[in-house]
Amino acid sequence: MIYWGANPVESHMRHLSRYSALAKGLFIPEGRKGRKVVVIDVRPTPTAKNADLFLQVTPGQDFEIAHVLRCLVKGLRLEGLTETSPVGGIPLSQWRELAEMMKQCHYGVVMFGIGVTQSRGRDLNLEEINTLVSEMNRYTRFYAIAMRGHGNVNGSNQVLAWQTGYPLAVNFYRGYPRYSPGEFSVVDMLARQEVDAALIVATDPGAHLPEKAVRYLQSIPTIVLEPHESLTTTWANVVIPVAPAGVGVEGTFYRMDNVALRLKKLVDFPHPSDVEVLRALKERVRQC
Amino acid sequence: MLKIVNGQVYDPAKEVKGEVRDIYIENGKITEYSPGREISQIIDASGCVVMPGGIEIHSHIAGAKVNSARIMCPEDHYDHFKSSTAETRSGTGYTIPSTFLTGYAYSALGYTTAFEAAVPALEARHAHEELGDTPMLDSGIYTLMANDHMIMKVLSQKDEVASKEQLRDLITWILTSSKGYAVKAVNPGGVESWKWSQGAVGLDTPVPPFGLTPRKLLLGLVEAIRELKLPHGLHLHANHLGEAGNFKTTLETMRTLEGFPVHFTHLQFHSYGITPKEAMKSAAWEIAEYLNAHPEFTCDVGQIVFGPVTTMTADSPMQFRLHEMTGNKWSNADVEMETGSGIVPMLYKPTVLFNAIQWCIGLELLLLIKNPWQIILTTDHPNAGPFTSYPHIIRLLMDADFRNSVLEQLHAKTGAFTHLKDLKREYSLEEICIVTRSAPAKALGLSQKGHLGNGAQADVAIYRLQDDKEKMFAKPAYVFKDGQLVVRDGEVLRSISGKRLIVEPEGAKILHPDLARDFAHCYSIALSNFAVQDEYLAQPEVIPCI
Repeated sequence: MIYWGANPVESHMRHLSRYSALAKGLFIPEGRKGRKVVVIDVRPTPTAKNADLFLQVTPGQDFEIAHVLRCLVKGLRLEGLTETSPVGGIPLSQWRELAEMMKQCHYGVVMFGIGVTQSRGRDLNLEEINTLVSEMNRYTRFYAIAMRGHGNVNGSNQVLAWQTGYPLAVNFYRGYPRYSPGEFSVVDMLARQEVDAALIVATDPGAHLPEKAVRYLQSIPTIVLEPHESLTTTWANVVIPVAPAGVGVEGTFYRMDNVALRLKKLVDFPHPSDVEVLRALKERVRQC
Repeated sequence: MLKIVNGQVYDPAKEVKGEVRDIYIENGKITEYSPGREISQIIDASGCVVMPGGIEIHSHIAGAKVNSARIMCPEDHYDHFKSSTAETRSGTGYTIPSTFLTGYAYSALGYTTAFEAAVPALEARHAHEELGDTPMLDSGIYTLMANDHMIMKVLSQKDEVASKEQLRDLITWILTSSKGYAVKAVNPGGVESWKWSQGAVGLDTPVPPFGLTPRKLLLGLVEAIRELKLPHGLHLHANHLGEAGNFKTTLETMRTLEGFPVHFTHLQFHSYGITPKEAMKSAAWEIAEYLNAHPEFTCDVGQIVFGPVTTMTADSPMQFRLHEMTGNKWSNADVEMETGSGIVPMLYKPTVLFNAIQWCIGLELLLLIKNPWQIILTTDHPNAGPFTSYPHIIRLLMDADFRNSVLEQLHAKTGAFTHLKDLKREYSLEEICIVTRSAPAKALGLSQKGHLGNGAQADVAIYRLQDDKEKMFAKPAYVFKDGQLVVRDGEVLRSISGKRLIVEPEGAKILHPDLARDFAHCYSIALSNFAVQDEYLAQPEVIPCI
């Protein structure tokens, strides 16, 4: 298992014990002892602490690392590099070791996080890592799993995809769905000040978005559906308290590997669900 | 009571062949005329044919792999979009349309029922969520079982009596947990073998980790299905899909399963011969000859349509091969203990010899298999083509001159490897009605569908007679779903939700304690959270076992 730019010990708390590094299975009954764990990250993390191999790389080098790994896996000659030449701050010989380890394993998985997707190169880093993983399948079985953040992001991706065809950055302005990440994504729309009101559901932009985007958001009318006090609720114009899914209401959650799970209701909550509020809002808007 | 008058009625199940008859509809059912009942509405079907609603027996329209394909291929959607109207939702997509558009597009062709052909039990909740957002259609899912660890473990036991009993219970449990309709087998044993980085399997290759052979696996499944009296037999995607010379495996599989209820799906992909120089040629004649002598089997064709497609299947080794061969983008998933899956977008071209031969083989099967009740029209949507091409394929079947004019545009050497140019048969309207309606209803054990007899579900499609059969079937004059008018002149008038078809076989509804222990150790989800909750099916309908 290779955690690349991901630190699930802190970001996906149950992932290691229930699903990845520590999980016991039919063919690895001993769990963690039966598998090799590699962490590639720019700093020592709690996930890295328990790795068999931790490669602390220099920031912004993920594309290069993945590309060199592809060459090493295929046995291609790397001109101008010796065994001690640093790639991403790590000597080539160590990458060669990793490439061998990947080829030798029966079944490998790369779990990549925002350390890869939100650093220099972004989607290109991912393209290269995925190509590496594709090519690994000529030798053994290898998979890549996105370690998405913030609760049910994948659920939102899945529902948008089956209803509109696109997982994110969907614009309905023309009456049909259009898709353009970087153009219709939240940060870009806010940065260009094209938005004049915002309905915010199950997220905390005050905590996650760049300062410039947050400042603009603060200048327009905002409605927030939120069970907790958050950085956004402190300045939003309207806050509608809702029952949290999986505690106060039932729902569906999509796991990192796209498996849909049922969320149960545990206790009665004084507040309505997100769905009830959105339905009521839709009805009122229709009547306006 | 609604009355459809002056239409030429096609109801092959009742041997009605285009006679002008009146059809009466009341409370969502076809009914007989009873004097004194008030006729609330009359539909004039002069110059039209009246048929039962179309039934899709094999299509990939909902669930994890379909949605992954939508995400993977935005280029499929940009040029194909629909705005919302007062009655319908917006959406995008050509070979992998969004769920609302999928429902509208089927309905606008006169189809009223569709089955999603491959769902792992672990991902059934997702498939049901999507079908809940697919309007206009009664629907159901087939649950994948032929690479499932629990199935293989049960079948590799020494005690045969216990093994058989446990298998019946396990199939019942998987079907009821996933709220599935039928048992699907995809490349039996071959998907699991690939997960172990081993090669393709033949019927007698022992498959890790239990050493079970595909032959034993298949025989176990069909026997259990027969004893459980499931309304649809084993829905089988055989081994070696798409490989030159695979007709031998297909025939051997058929011989192995003789006498059992089996539906061979997308048979076009399994009817490839091989030349001495190892090139691909048609083996449709050999396959058709066998099926003509074995009326107990049914199949669907999986007809190739030239143009873009998005291949998606649980057959992950096949998809990896396709990716390596074409260099096209690829996505692959390993569904834990159950199965795998893969996605590769493709383009079928008439000028590519391989594609041209594939195109001919599908049509040859449709023309050489004599009994239309045995072969059902599909494109294995969206693998061989989009389902929206059905009117085009109907014209190819009904109009030999048109077919030959297309044949002339194919790769120049196509004729050397196929028989199509020698086939003169043209389908009649009755035969079209059988391969799109009556036969799938019969193969699926749906006694209320696929015919227009008293008590049948009032799913009716009315088409204006035209010489150009593609135009005729592309734009029905009227479509009724459960007695409601939903489409006029090919336009969707209103969005309605259909029923979810499920089965409740008489096996044990709980998992055997040994398997429950395995489940607890090996699944990434707790047993108590596994089964699809009732909340995911708004209108379930249990179809009785036979």
